[in-house]
Amino acid sequence: MSTGLKVKIKSWNGVGFWKWMTNDTDCGICRLPFDGCCPDCRIPGDDCPIVSGQCRHQFHMHCILKWLQTQQMKQQCPMCRRDWQFSD
Amino acid sequence: MGGASHAYKEMAFLKRLKKEYMELKKSPPPGVVLDDSVLENNITNWIIHISGAEGTLYSGEQFKLNIKFNDKYPFDSPQVTFIKPYLPVHPHVYSNGHICLSILDRDWSPALNVSSICLSILSMLSSCTQKVKPDDDSMYMRFAPSNPKKTTWVFHDDSV
Repeated sequence: MSTGLKVKIKSWNGVGFWKWMTNDTDCGICRLPFDGCCPDCRIPGDDCPIVSGQCRHQFHMHCILKWLQTQQMKQQCPMCRRDWQFSD
Repeated sequence: MGGASHAYKEMAFLKRLKKEYMELKKSPPPGVVLDDSVLENNITNWIIHISGAEGTLYSGEQFKLNIKFNDKYPFDSPQVTFIKPYLPVHPHVYSNGHICLSILDRDWSPALNVSSICLSILSMLSSCTQKVKPDDDSMYMRFAPSNPKKTTWVFHDDSV
């Protein structure tokens, strides 16, 4: 069925949003949401990424790096204490 | 520039402390009560009342914990001691309030928090089978630093 009505789009505004794909909502180190950023950053996004370990626990990259830097003897996941290895 | 980045670090640890404070006020684990009369002026120095669990050697007893945080928290463990005279007679609690507990020292993790520290201490009390002071209590009292984090701890008995 056709009404013969024609619509002409004059302008449109696209709105997009992004989310990190995470198992959890908050970072286990700083306790801030993954969709926000770590407490040392101001703008969420690629500049404050989320990383996973091979144990599948996830943290803000800045948070886990800070933790690993303070560990001289062993590099362990703060959640499960397994040896921390970045997953690919 | 250095000043600015230091201000950020300070904010980061205060942010987490404030969040923990709210959560502990709202839903404390059983036997744990935050004394916020002391906290008003200084959010880095907490007093916590803990009650011995029912059915354990410490049932009906009340103890006081002091938890002090520095600006490296949660990457650095807080300083946790019992406050005299509100300390339990326990093989891992020294007469000056210092606690021999591995999570406060080499087994610290930034995923731990005030609530999990209190639960660990409560469970340390609950699993105790004999109310005695540590074997080396009088020895330790002689050389103990005021900050238990400066002590080199030996963790030899995880069962109590």
